[in-house]
Parts: sequence; structure tokens; C-alpha cells
Amino acid sequence: MPYIELNVLNNTATDVAVGIDLGTTNSLVAIWRDGRPVVLAPEGRSGLVPSVVYVPSEGTPVVGREARDQAVVDPRHTVFSIKRFMGRGLADVRSELAARPYSATQTERGLVQLELRGRKYTPQELSALILMKVRDVACAALGGQPVTRAVITVPAYFDDAQRQATRDAAHLAGLEVLRIVNEPTAASLAYGLDQRDKGNVAVFDLGGGTFDVSILAIEDGVFRVLSTNGDTHLGGDDFDERLAELARSEIGPVAGARVLEDPGFQQAVRLAAERCKIELTAQPEADLHLVVPELRLNWRRRVTREEFEGRVADLLQRAMDCCRRALSDAHLKAAQVDEVVLVGGSTRVPIVRARVEAFFGRKPHTELDPDQVVALGAAVQAHILTGGKRDMLLMDVTPLSLGIETMGGAVDKVIQRNTTIPCAATVGYTTYADNQTGLDFHIVQGERELAKDCRSLGRFQLKGVPPMPAGLARIAVRFHIDADGVLRVSAKEESTGKSAQIDVQPMHGLTDLEVEGMLKAGFAHARDDFQARRAADLKIEIGTMLHATEKHLHAAHGGLDKETYRDLEDAISRAREAARQDDGTALQKARDELERATLPLAALLMNNVAQKALMGRKLGDV
Amino acid sequence: MSACPHCQAAIETPLACAACGTVLDPIGDTTPYELLGLPLAWSIDPSELKKRLARYGRLVHPDFFAQAPDEERERAEQASARLNAAHALLADDTARADWLVEHLGGPRSENERELPRAFLLEVLDWNEELEALSAGSNAPGAASRLDALARSLEARRDEGSAAVARLLTPLPSRGSPGLVRVRQELNVLSYLERALGEIEALRSGNVARR
Repeated sequence: MPYIELNVLNNTATDVAVGIDLGTTNSLVAIWRDGRPVVLAPEGRSGLVPSVVYVPSEGTPVVGREARDQAVVDPRHTVFSIKRFMGRGLADVRSELAARPYSATQTERGLVQLELRGRKYTPQELSALILMKVRDVACAALGGQPVTRAVITVPAYFDDAQRQATRDAAHLAGLEVLRIVNEPTAASLAYGLDQRDKGNVAVFDLGGGTFDVSILAIEDGVFRVLSTNGDTHLGGDDFDERLAELARSEIGPVAGARVLEDPGFQQAVRLAAERCKIELTAQPEADLHLVVPELRLNWRRRVTREEFEGRVADLLQRAMDCCRRALSDAHLKAAQVDEVVLVGGSTRVPIVRARVEAFFGRKPHTELDPDQVVALGAAVQAHILTGGKRDMLLMDVTPLSLGIETMGGAVDKVIQRNTTIPCAATVGYTTYADNQTGLDFHIVQGERELAKDCRSLGRFQLKGVPPMPAGLARIAVRFHIDADGVLRVSAKEESTGKSAQIDVQPMHGLTDLEVEGMLKAGFAHARDDFQARRAADLKIEIGTMLHATEKHLHAAHGGLDKETYRDLEDAISRAREAARQDDGTALQKARDELERATLPLAALLMNNVAQKALMGRKLGDV
Repeated sequence: MSACPHCQAAIETPLACAACGTVLDPIGDTTPYELLGLPLAWSIDPSELKKRLARYGRLVHPDFFAQAPDEERERAEQASARLNAAHALLADDTARADWLVEHLGGPRSENERELPRAFLLEVLDWNEELEALSAGSNAPGAASRLDALARSLEARRDEGSAAVARLLTPLPSRGSPGLVRVRQELNVLSYLERALGEIEALRSGNVARR
């Protein structure tokens, strides 16, 4: 039954705030009503809006179920999974585009555009069409009440550019974005309502295209995200693809390669594979059945659940590896997880449930529809943000580390990944050369040890440092990540109060694959990184030591005996030689050697200083 | 316990007043203990710490100031950041000990680099083993030797943590020479963390090559 809230003062309908799950495969909208979140759906329908856009030859684009029905008939003008293109450059999505039957270009700002019937669409525009459809569904379900404000969910791994693109899409659709919320954390809010007041929760979110796992701690109504991990290219689509591969490998030799390249065939295979997977959820065997009349193709193949499970085993293993890392980042063991929540349609697959249950050693929650959980949680967050609910709070974390490039090319991590936001951290820097008046800062995001392997977020410069000897300036650089996950950086020279401030706006932002690649590479290359980092640090140390030694050697060499002096000269030239290479062991040796050789010089200098001090005192005494 | 400058109610944390809901701006140096309203002591009840984070988080989180004027929102941002940082420090045994040693006028990690003498001998053995293993991490038996090394380092780490707890209970007086001992034990812990990190890197390197 329609339900309209009226403002008693002017008798007009009030604007409501909804939660929207803008998914890769499906989108859904929910609202807070009578003390709980509910999905908004037309009478007798599920409310799921397929995230598909069809551009007809005439008239306006079609969104949702009707668009999806066009997929087999007219695949060239039907766009699936547009979410994968959000906030990306053309280079980022090349592999994604390879499997699509339409062409793409790039704007001068590096934004992808898809060409459909001679018109170019940005992912933001196409997502906006989906959001408008979702808004219309909500509006209709609310009996015509206008919907203008929304909380929209994104995968935890979405970077700034992708979040910004999502915001832009909402803006194009005429929606005010109250907050961009991470999907797994929204899901935990949906489930948290009638849950325990204390404990640890794992949210396992396997959607159509992405996988996220988050570990949360609940304490008196406060949900704190302890860690988050995931894989941006792992989901139900990949399960379908494994069945599609099976179909192609058996049809190809019979029907010929031309058939495999036919766009109509490609879409039909995709749909047949999905249907087969869904049937295998309820029964031990199902048919992979493909009909494409234009190609005179009618092909059928029996698939057992066991065969299907064998074909997706490695995909499941990847998901479980993410779970292991998330637990380790949260400093928890599987046994300490009190609740496991399943999110995303792909968690209906029996083998997925079984693996999750085995890993955490407990039965996961399935009370809520896994397709609805994220939207329901977004509605809870919308309710909190519009001032409705103060007894519940979600404290989120930043998914990637942030740092500053050092002189040697290493990264000084300022904020570690999985730090609770909002957060702030200040690090101190100083000048490297005498009378240096400016400092450049390069801000990077990622888990690798060297700046060149991380994603560059921006550079800024602090000028006007008063001239003074190297190492005396005191420069404080402050990072602040706000509740929306946006980074602000400021720098200040503390003896003069000179300051510089920037808002970090990434050009294209990080690509999902890069984030993922960086995380993965962070593990695979940990050993190399460790060596590279050590070498970079040693080089700086040697540089500083050489600088100091040479400065004093000139003044003090008269006090050193010949042998000591030659020894020191040798050590200096060896250190110079070593500093030209990247060999950590040689650098370490040269550094130690230099330190040993400078000991007599240091002793001599100390004596000089002591003598001067004593002389001063005597003069003063007189 | 002090009073709220706006409504004079007693406040538990200098970050906000629970009575009138105002986010406050604590001036000067406020210790993490003060921010979370806890007495200065080594031992902290983790569940009490979590409770307080939840309670004060509810007072200062920017989500509750989404509709508030910019200035108030900004204060909530800053207060939340301080609360989160204080909680992160207090929740981590090593970070908390490090802070306490400095707060009580003990040596900073950069000024006192000594390790306890007995530990140095152990380190020599471990370093030798670690170097041998990193030179030939694919050699047969290397994986189990890495595991054994990790286990002995972990055992020593637990010992070190226990020693730190013992030395800081009750808290030594300001500037007490005992603080140097604590710093040395903390140096042990940071050596062990680094070595364990290197072992972890060797292990994952092996996994990646396989």
C-alpha cells in the first residue's frame, strides 16, 4: 500500500532519503519505514532492476528487465556491467572491452565513452539512466512521493575516481548523494539490527562481478570495520564464464570459429551459462542449453554440480585467500568470528556456502535475501544521516595505505591501510641540503615499498623555508582522511609557520586492477621490496654521513695521524662507489666501514668542542 | 573529571559533552588516556576500551553532524580523528608501552638503541640462520626451518611482551632508570617484528614462485 509522508505545515509531500545498491548486475532501492529498512518494489515484483541499458534506434534508452531482454536480439546496443567502466581511462578497461560488441573512445580528460548508434555515452551517463529508473521504481512504490536524496553503495575497493564517478552519475540523475558507503559495510548494518550487542562479524560479499570480505567488530551498536580485502574481478560472472568456456570449447570444433565470434552467440552463451548455474543451485544436475535460431544452433549438454564445482575451484580458492588476509589484518583467528553474513546472489551457490562454513567453522547467516542486504543497509545509513537514528554507528576504514615518497624513492607510510576513518597523522621532515628553501612532496597510495610501484595521487611544494643548515628545518606534513574517505594534506614549516595545503584529486584515480595488483604484488614482491627499501635507506644514510664527514674533515684533518686519515679517505671513496649501486649488502658494508673510519674524527671533534667549551668558561670566569 | 564549558555538566572525555551534545576542542596536549577517560596505567581492560570508543564515537562521529554547519562538522572530523588515533595507540600493547616510556621521561627509541646483552647472542644465531635461509629459500627443508625460526622468534616475542608488562606494572616513577630497561625490551620487540616480517616475506616469496 502506498505510504506518503506529509508535511503538516504546508501539506506537501516531504522529500525522502533512500538507500541505493547500484550493482554491477542488478540495482535495488530501499527505505527506512516503521523502524526497519524495507525494499521498495512495485506490487508483486522483486524490485531488482537489471543494471542494463538498451539504446533503441528511435526514442529514449530503455533500462532494466526490458533492456536485458534485448541482449540476445540486439547485443550491439545493449550495455551490461557498466559499473566496471566507472571512473576509468580507456587503457584501464581494454581487456574488459575486448569481450564487448561495441566500440569505445576516450575524452580528452581520459574518460571512457561507449559508442551506441553513433552517440557517445560516458559510464556516468549510463549509470545515471539506471539510477533514474531505480528512482522511478522507488517513487512509484511510494505512491508518487518525490525521491531526491540517497546513500549509494560502492565496493570497498573503489578508489576516489570511481567514487567520484558514482557521485557524478547520481548528480546527473538528479539525486543528492548523502554518502557513498562501502557495500560490505552497508550489508553489516542491514544485518546488525537485531543482532548481538557484542562480537566479531565477517561479511562475505560475492556479487556478479566483485568480491569483498570485511571483518567488523560490534560493540554496543557501534560497527567498526577492522579490515577489508577483496578481488575486483571475481564474482558470479566468472562462474558463468567457466560454463561458457565449456560450451565454447565443445561447440567451436563443430560449428566453427565464426560462430564463436558472433555477438548474438556470445550473449546467448552468457545467458545459458547463467541459467545452468542457477539451476545447479537447486538440483544436482542441469542442462547447459543454447538456442540461437539465426545460427541454426540448438545445443545441449548435461552438467553435474560436481563438474561445475571442479571448474570454479580456483575461483573459490582466491576468495578464501582474501578471507585469510582480512582475518590476519584484523588480528583475529577464524574461531573468533562470531557471525558470518552472506551477501550477493552468488552466495546462493551451494559450494560457496560450504567453503565459507568450513573456513569460519560456523553456519553463515542467510535470513535476509543476499540480493537485498546491501540496499537495506544503505537505507539504514540514509536514516542515520538524515538524523533519524543515533543508536547505531558505522566506523569505516581506509582500504589502502597512504604515504610520501622519500629522497631515495622509498615510501614513508603516513596512514596504514585499514586505519579507522576519520583519521589524521603528522610526520616530520627536514631539509637535505644547506640553505634549501623548498621541499617537494609526492603523495602515493598503495602497499609497495617503492614510490614508483605505488599509484601517484599528487605532488605539492612547500616554499619559503628560511635558509638554514641541512637538517635544522622542522616541516610537519599532516594527512587527514575525512568520513567520506577523501584525503586532505597540509604542510607547515614549524619555526616560521609557512604552510601549504592541497586537496588530493587523483587524475584518473587508481584502477581496480591496479589496487588489486598492488595488493597482490605487495605480497609477491615483499622480499624484493625489502631489499630495495633497505638499499634506498642506506644510500640516504651514507649521503648524510659523507656530507658531515667532508664538512668537518677539512677543518680537523690536521689533528689526525696519517694512517687514520688515509683509512678515512679510503672509506669515503668506497662509500661513494657503493652509493652508485643498489646492492644492499655492499651498501651496508660501506656504511659500517665509513662509520668505523670516522670514529677517530668524531672523537677529535668532540675533544675540540669540549676544549672550546672549557676555554669559553675560562674567558667568562675572568 | 572536568566540566563542559557550555553546560557545566561533568565530562568523561575532553572531546565532547554527553549532556549537551557539544563537540569540544581540547586545547594543548591531551593524552590518549585522557581522551578515552582512562587512568594512566599499563594494563587496560580491552572491553572497557572498546566500550569507551563506542560511547565517545557516538558523540563525535561526523555521521551525526551531516546536517550541521561546516564548522561543527569540521570539529567532529577532528575530534573523531583524535579519538580513533588515541584508541589505536591504547589498543596496541607495544605502541602503548612506547608512549608510556616517553611520557614518563624515559629514552626515545632513537636515543636508546641498546639491546639486552643476553639477547644479542640470540640475535647472532638468528641472523645467521635467517641469512642462510634467505640465500637459499628454495633449498629442501628451508620451509620447515623458516617455520622453526619463526616459532622461536614468536616465543621470544611473547617473553618480551610479558617482560614489558611486568616492568610497567606498577608504572615506574617519572625519569626512573627502570625505563631504560623497558626501552631495551621494546627494542627487542621491534627487532623481532622486523625479523618476523622478513620471514613472512620469504614465505610469501616462495608461494609466489611456486
